[in-house]
Amino acid sequence: MCTEKCPKKVVDTYNEGLRKRKAIYVEYEQAVPLKYAIDPTQCIKMIKDKCGNCEKVCPTGAIVYDQKEKTTKLNVGSVVLSPGFKPFDPSIFDTYQYSKFKNVITSTEMERILSASGPTGGHLVRPSDNEEPKKIAWFQCIGSREINRCDNSHCSSVCCMYATKEAVMAKEHNGPELDTAIFYMDMRTPGKDFEAYYEDAKENKGVRYVKSRVHTIDPITGTDDLEVRYANENGEIVKEQFDMIVLSVGLEIPPETVEFAGKLGVELTDNNFAKTSVFNPVKTSRDGIFVCGSFQGPKDIPESVIDASAAATAAGEILTESRNTNVKIAEVITEINVDNERPRIGVFVCSCGTNIAGVVDVKAVAEYCETLPYVEFVTNNMFSCSQDTQEKIAETIREKNLNRVVVAACTPKTHEGLFKETLLAAGLNKYLFEMANIRNHNSWVHKETPELATEKAKDTIRMSIAKVALFQPLKEAELQVNQTALVLGGGLSGMTTAKSLATQGYETHIIEKSDKLGGQAHNLLKTVQGEDVREKVAELSSAIDSDDKITVHLNSEITDVEGFVGNFETTISGDNKIEHGIAVMATGASPYKPEEYCYGQDDRIITALDLDRKFMDNDAALKDMTSAAFIQCVGSREKDRPYCSRVCCTHSVDNAIELKKLKPEMNVYIIYRDIRTYGERELLYKEARELGVIFIRYDRDNKPSVEVKDGEVIVNVTDHVLGRPLEIRVDLLTLATAIIPNRDEKIAQFFKLPVNDSGFYVERHAKLGPSEFATDGVFLCGLAHYPKPIDESITHAQAATSRAVTLLARESIHTNGEIAVTSPQNCSSCGICVSVCPYSAPSFTTAKGPNLGRAEINPVLCKGCGLCVASCRSGAINHNGFDTGQIYAQLVNVKEAV
Amino acid sequence: MKELMEHMGIEPGRLQFSWISSAESTKFVDVVKDVTEKVKALGPNKNFVKEAS
Amino acid sequence: MADFEPKIVSFLCNWCSYGAADLAGVGRAQYPANVRVVRIPCTGRMSPKFFLAALREGADAVWVSG
Repeated sequence: MCTEKCPKKVVDTYNEGLRKRKAIYVEYEQAVPLKYAIDPTQCIKMIKDKCGNCEKVCPTGAIVYDQKEKTTKLNVGSVVLSPGFKPFDPSIFDTYQYSKFKNVITSTEMERILSASGPTGGHLVRPSDNEEPKKIAWFQCIGSREINRCDNSHCSSVCCMYATKEAVMAKEHNGPELDTAIFYMDMRTPGKDFEAYYEDAKENKGVRYVKSRVHTIDPITGTDDLEVRYANENGEIVKEQFDMIVLSVGLEIPPETVEFAGKLGVELTDNNFAKTSVFNPVKTSRDGIFVCGSFQGPKDIPESVIDASAAATAAGEILTESRNTNVKIAEVITEINVDNERPRIGVFVCSCGTNIAGVVDVKAVAEYCETLPYVEFVTNNMFSCSQDTQEKIAETIREKNLNRVVVAACTPKTHEGLFKETLLAAGLNKYLFEMANIRNHNSWVHKETPELATEKAKDTIRMSIAKVALFQPLKEAELQVNQTALVLGGGLSGMTTAKSLATQGYETHIIEKSDKLGGQAHNLLKTVQGEDVREKVAELSSAIDSDDKITVHLNSEITDVEGFVGNFETTISGDNKIEHGIAVMATGASPYKPEEYCYGQDDRIITALDLDRKFMDNDAALKDMTSAAFIQCVGSREKDRPYCSRVCCTHSVDNAIELKKLKPEMNVYIIYRDIRTYGERELLYKEARELGVIFIRYDRDNKPSVEVKDGEVIVNVTDHVLGRPLEIRVDLLTLATAIIPNRDEKIAQFFKLPVNDSGFYVERHAKLGPSEFATDGVFLCGLAHYPKPIDESITHAQAATSRAVTLLARESIHTNGEIAVTSPQNCSSCGICVSVCPYSAPSFTTAKGPNLGRAEINPVLCKGCGLCVASCRSGAINHNGFDTGQIYAQLVNVKEAV
Repeated sequence: MKELMEHMGIEPGRLQFSWISSAESTKFVDVVKDVTEKVKALGPNKNFVKEAS
Repeated sequence: MADFEPKIVSFLCNWCSYGAADLAGVGRAQYPANVRVVRIPCTGRMSPKFFLAALREGADAVWVSG
C-alpha cells in the first residue's frame, strides 16, 4: 500500500537500472525479511519534509521516518568476512561503447532481462526498442585477464560458464533460431558438470563459440544494430552484425572493501583479494579473522557455499570452549491430551492489513466459517503473525478449549512454523494445525475479481477445516546422536576433516586403505604459492598421531554398515565394529594411466606426477634438457570422460615455470586445448608466457601425435597460428593426465550414496549442498566429489566438518511428524515401498513376531514425500499430515455440500 | 491413465500435468491461465459426478 | 458458456509449484480464480484415486504440478 501511494520514482538498482521502483520498496521478491524499507536518499519526506503519504496510508503505523543507523558493540571471538564482489564497470572502455550504445549491456543486466521477476517479466527484448533480438553476441573477459586499462590481471572464473548459461537460456526464451555467439580467449569450464554443459551448448544447442577478442563495435546507421569487427582464427578480419551485445564483466573487489580490509589489518593480494595460504584457505593474515566467498578469490556458487561452511569451521574451532554459552533456553509447555475429543476448531482469518482484506471480504468469510461443522470459534485478525495477535491466539485456544486450529492467511511455507509455535505455547500438539493460503494464492493474484476471490477463500478454508478435523496429534521421536565421527579416506581431505572434528571435541576414526596417511598429496611437489606439500602432510600426520581423539585404522576397509544418521555401526576389516553418528566420504581419486601418446614406450614420456617426483629427487637430468613439452587434457574432456580435471593446466604451467627457472634457455612447450588457470592462477599463466614458455593449441578432433623414432621423442602438432604442422623433438614429454575417482560401489551401497557416470559422488545439491549427501548424516569432501587443487580440497574438508558439526552439536535430533507409517497387519510384503523409496526408509521387519517380514518405515529416514503411500497396493501405509482420508476430505469440500 | 479416462467417459483434458520449479512464478501463471482456458473450453464436467442425493 | 467458471483442483508439490504459486503472489501476477489448491508433499503422493474423487465431488478438472 505504501509503495502504491509513494509518488517518488527511483532507479531500481537491483534490476541494474533497467526499470524504476518507488522510494519505499522491497528490494526484490525473495528478500529476507520480506519487509518494505524507505530509501533515505530519495524519500521526499526525509529530504524535504514533504509528502508523508506512506505514514498516512499505513494501517499499522509502521512508518518511522527518524529511524537512524545504530552502532552496536559485540564481543566476539572470531570474525568472518564475506563482503562479496562488484561486477566490473565497463564504461571506461571506449572500444565497447557501453555508455554510448543502448544495446551494449553487461552480463548482469542480461541476467535481469532473462529473469522471470526482471524488468521485462522474463521476455528477452533489447533495451533500445523492446524488440526481440535475432542475434546476440557475448564478449568474454571484460575487466578480467587484462592489465592495460582495468588492472584486473586475474581470471574471474565464472564468466565463461554464465555466458554459456545465458546463451542457452536466451535460446530457450526466443527459440533455437536465435543466433548466439560467444567471443572468448579460453573457454574455462572447470567446475563439476560444467564441461558437459558447455559441450551440450556447443554441439546440441547451437551456441557459437568464436575464439577471438573483438576490437571494434560500430553502430549501423538508421538502426540500433551493431557491427563488430574481429580477427578470426585464420587471422582474417571479419565483420558481423548483431542486435545486441553482452559484455561478460568480471568480478572485482570494490574500493570500500579494500579500505575496510585496511582498517582491519587484513593483507590483500595484488588483485585486492584477501591473502590466504593454500593450507589455510579461509584464514586471513590476521588471527581470528576468516574470509569466504569471492573476497577470498573469484568463484562460483558451490565454491562460495563450500567456503562459507569452511569459514564457519575455522571460526568455530577457536571457539570450541565457549560453545553453548550465552544460549537462551525456551520454556517447554506440557501438551494437553486431546485424544478422543470431538474436534473443536478455531479459525483465524487474517486481513494482513489490506493485503487480504482489500480484495477478499474477510468479514463474510469469517461469518461463513461459523456455519461449518466442528467450528467452535472464528475471528478476524488484522495481522495474525504479529506478536500480540500470537499471544491472543494462544489465549483463545486455552479459553475456548480449542483442539484444532486453522489460520487463513499467507503461505505455510513462511508462516506455518510460527503458528505451530503458537500452538505449542497454548499446550496443543503442533500438528493439529492447518493453514489456508488466502493471500499468496488468492488476494494477491485475484485483485480484479473480488467476488470470485472471496468464493475461493471460502472454498479453501472449508477444505482446510475438513482436513484439520481429521488431524491427530503426532509424535516426534527423539534420537540421540552418537558423538563419534568416521572419516573414510586418509588423504589430505580426510586428515583435515578428522583433525578439525577432533579439535572441536569429537572422537574421530580415520579408515585408510593404504599403509600410510597422506594419499595423493605425497606425489605433489609444491603448491602454487610454493609451499612444500610433503612437509605440510608430515606436519598434519604427526598432529593426527599425537591427537588422542583420533584413531587411525591403516590397511583397513569397510565390510559392513548398519544403521542411519546418528547411529551408524560400521564393521571394518578384522571385524572391528565402530559406532558413529556421522560419516565423511573422503575417498579421493587417482591419476589416469594413459594409453595414448606412446606412454610406457619410452621413459622420457611421463605423467605430471612423475615430473613432480623428478623435481623432488632433484633429478640432475632435468638440467641437461634442451626441450620439454606438456600435453594437456590427457584422458580429460573426452567422450567417455566428459569432465575437466581442473588442476592440470595450473600444474603444467607451474612446472613449465620451474623448468624455465632451472634452465632459461630450455624450450618449453605446452600443448593445450584451453588454458584454465582460473582465478589468480592466471598470474602464473602470465608469468609462464613472460618467461618464454610456448603455448600451442589443439582441438579434440586434431590431437597431437607422438612417436619414438631413432631414439628420439617427437611430438607432431598443427600450429594454431600458422596453421602448419610442427615437429617438436623433446627430451621430456609430460602428459597432464586426468583425475579418476576411486570408485567403490560397495561403499556407495553401504551408505546409500549416488554416484555419477564418471564415478564421482553426487552431492545433496550441486550448488547449495556440495559438502553433504541427500542421505542424512553422511558428508563429502575432496577429490571424491570432483577434481580440485589442495586449497580447495582443504576448504571442502573444513566445509564437510562444518556440516557434520551442525548435526553432532545438536546431540539429539527430532524426527518430523509428517511422515509415512505402515500398518503391518495390512502389509502383504510386496516390497514396492522398499523399492520406490528414494531415502531407503522402508524395510522388512526382522524382529520375530507376527509382523516378521512385513514393511516398517524408519521415521528418521522418512522425508514424508508420500511416494510409498501412493504406491502401496494394500493400503497399508498411512501418511501423517497428508493422509488419504484427509486429502479426500479436502476434495469432498471442493464444492459446497448440497 | 488417459486411456482409462476415455474408457470411463472422461475427457482426457480434465487431467493436466506440468512441472514448475519454485522460482518459475511466471511459468506458474502461464500454466494456470492455459489450464483454465482449456477446461473452460471443455465445459462443465457432467460425467462421473456423484449424484446429489 | 461465457459465465462458466470451472473449479479446477490443483495438486501442487510443496517444494515446486506451491512455491512458484507463492512467488507469483509476491509478484502480484494476476490469474483466473478457478483453481483450488491441495498441497501435497511431493507429486509422488498423487494417486489416480484423488483424480477420480475430485471429479466425483464435482470438480471440472484436476491439475497436477510438480
